[in-house]
Amino acid sequence: MRVHHFTATLSPRDAVGYHTLAVDDLLRDMGHDTTLYAQSIHPDLASRARDYRDHAGDPAADVLLYQASTGSPVADHLLGRPEPLVLDYHNLTPAEAFDPWEPHIGAELDAGRRQLARLARRAVAAVADSQFNADELIALGLDDVRVAPVLFDPPDPPDRAAGGPPTLLFVGRLAPNKRQQDLIAALAELRRHRPEARLTLIGAPSSARYEDALRAFAESVAPGAVEFAGSVPYADLVASYGTADVFVCLSEHEGFCVPVIEAMGAGLPVVARAAAVLPETVGDAGLLLSDPGPSEVAAAIDQVLDDPHLRAAMAERGRIRAATFAPERAAQIMRRALGSILEALA
Amino acid sequence: MTEPTAPAEDAAAYIARVRAEIEADAERRRRQEPEIQRREREIERAWIDVAPPGAAGEQGELLLDRADRLSMIDVDAPLGAKPGVRHVKGTIRKATYWYLRYVTDQINALSNVLVRLVRRMDERLDGVEAAVGTGALDALIDPVAEPGQAVAEAVAAVVPTDGTVFVGAARAGALVAPIHARGQGVHGVDRDPIAILPGVRGGLDLRSGDPVEHLASSEPGSLTAIVLAGFVEDLGPTAVWTLLGDVTAALDGTGTVVVVTTDPADRDPVERDLRAGRGLAPATWAHLLERAGFAAETVAVDGDDRIDTIVVGRLG
Repeated sequence: MRVHHFTATLSPRDAVGYHTLAVDDLLRDMGHDTTLYAQSIHPDLASRARDYRDHAGDPAADVLLYQASTGSPVADHLLGRPEPLVLDYHNLTPAEAFDPWEPHIGAELDAGRRQLARLARRAVAAVADSQFNADELIALGLDDVRVAPVLFDPPDPPDRAAGGPPTLLFVGRLAPNKRQQDLIAALAELRRHRPEARLTLIGAPSSARYEDALRAFAESVAPGAVEFAGSVPYADLVASYGTADVFVCLSEHEGFCVPVIEAMGAGLPVVARAAAVLPETVGDAGLLLSDPGPSEVAAAIDQVLDDPHLRAAMAERGRIRAATFAPERAAQIMRRALGSILEALA
Repeated sequence: MTEPTAPAEDAAAYIARVRAEIEADAERRRRQEPEIQRREREIERAWIDVAPPGAAGEQGELLLDRADRLSMIDVDAPLGAKPGVRHVKGTIRKATYWYLRYVTDQINALSNVLVRLVRRMDERLDGVEAAVGTGALDALIDPVAEPGQAVAEAVAAVVPTDGTVFVGAARAGALVAPIHARGQGVHGVDRDPIAILPGVRGGLDLRSGDPVEHLASSEPGSLTAIVLAGFVEDLGPTAVWTLLGDVTAALDGTGTVVVVTTDPADRDPVERDLRAGRGLAPATWAHLLERAGFAAETVAVDGDDRIDTIVVGRLG
C-alpha cells in the first residue's frame, strides 16, 4: 500500500519528529511504500522528507497518515484531499494556557483545535498515544481510535550518583501548561525544612515572557535554588536523571509525557499532579497528587527523600512501568494498530 | 543518596498507602495550621506580581478572558510566505522592530493594567453580590403570596371603572379578575410565566414580563389605573422612586395608583431577616406618593391576614 505520511515539523530532537521517523521506518518494514512530507524540515533530515506543498499534484497515495500535534497548513492541505485519512494524534495544548502569555500562540492553538475537529470528522481511523488522547478524538466523533504509545528511544539507565543537595528535576519545555511555577512554589515550601534543596528545569522556553516571569518568581521565593538549564545535549539530559533525587511533574496538561517514562526507567521516583494523561502514564509507580498546593507537593517530596522503602518501591514500580513503553513493545503495538487500520483500507 | 532497600510489602500497595497518608496529613495540617495557608498565599502573591493578568488562576470568566487576549498586541509579524516575500518582510521587520517594540510594550502595559483593574472590579462586585446574597436567599423564603379575595375586592373598589387598568405583578390574576369581571379593560404582567398560567387558562389577559419594564414602555395616558403588588415588596427606596416616575409618566397627569403591600413591621422574623428587600410600610408609600404629586390615602382592608391596608394615590 502507498502511504503518504505527513507532519508539521520534522526535527531529530523533537519527540513527535522521532516518532514520525520511527513510524515511517515501521511502515516500510511492514512492506508499505511510504513518502514523508512536512511543512518544516530540519536540514539534517532533508533526505528523509519532502515539502508538503510538493504533494499537491501527487494522487498516487492509497492512504494519508497525519501526525497531528499542532495547528498547521499541512492539515488544511489534507482536509482538501480525497484519499482516506488516518490520524496519529499526540494532543494539542489548550489555548487557555497560553492566552495570558503569548496570545498569538493561544490563537494558533485555538485554530489547531478547530482544525482537529475537522480532521476527526474527515478521518477514517486514528491512532492515539494514550487513552486520554483517544477519548478526545472519540468525543469529536471519530469512532475507530486505537491506542499505541509514542515511539521513542529511552536512554540507558544512568549511574545513580550519591551525595549532593536534594535535587528535584523536571524535563519539558518552559510552557504555561507545564506549570513550572508550581514546581518553584513547592521548592520554596520544601526549603523551609531543607534549605539546601534545589530544582533543575531542563527544556527550552515556549514563551520568553513566561520564562522571564519564572526567573523573577524563582529569585523572589527560592533565590539561587533554581537552575534554568535550557535545552541540553542528550548526554547531559541522561546524566541529569542520575544526579536528581526526585522527578516532579506538575503539568496541568500533557498528552503523553516521555520525560516521566525516562525518569521512571532511570529509577528516579516520580511525584506528579494527577491531571490529564499523567495518571495513565505514571500508573501505580509514582505519587500522584490531586490538585496539590505547594505544601502537599513539598510533603510528598519530603517523604520520598526521607523514606528509603518508599524510594525503593517507586524505583521498582517505575522500572516495571517504563518497561511497558519499551521500544520493541511500543513498536509491536503500533504495528498491530496501523496494520489493522491499513488492512481494512486495502 | 544511597540506593534504598526493598520495602517489606508489595511496592504498589506501599506507594498507594503513602500517597493516601500524605494527602490526609496535608489536609489535616492545612486545617489546623493557618500558617500554611498564609505562606501559600504569600507564594501565590509573589507569582501574581510577575505574571500577566489571567495567568494566576483567576481566569474563567469568558468576557475577561477575551479582554486578556485582545489586550495583547503582538509585535512579531508572521513571516510564513514564499521565499522572496519572506525576505522583504524580514527586512521591513528588522528596520521597524525597535520602534514597534517600544510602542507595543507601552500599549500592552496599559492594556494589562486596564484588564487587571477590570478583574479587580469584577472581584469586588462578586464580593458585594455574595454579601447581599439576593439570589441565594430567595429560595429560602416563600414567594409573595397571591392577594386574597378581600384585598382584590378592595382594590377593584378604588380603581376607576373606565379606561384601562394595569396590574403588576399579576401572579395568577387575583387582582385582575374582579376588574375583568365588570367588563373593564385590564391586563396583568408577571416575571414568572408559570405563575400566570391558571389565570390565562381562566381567560384573563396576563402576560409574562417585567412589570417595571412594561410600565416604563407604556404609552403616556394609555392607562387610567395602575395596581402595584408583590414585586414592590423587594424594591429599595431608590427603585421605588424611579418606579413612581414611570407610573406618573404612564398616567400622564390623570389616574389612580394602588399599592398592595404588607407592612414590614408585621412580617415574621424569618421573612424579615431573609427577604432581599426590606420593603416599605403603607404609610411610607403614602408619603412617597404625596411627594410624587399624588393625593394619597390609606384604605383599610378587612378579612385578610397579611394585608390590612392598601394605599391609593390619585392624579388630576
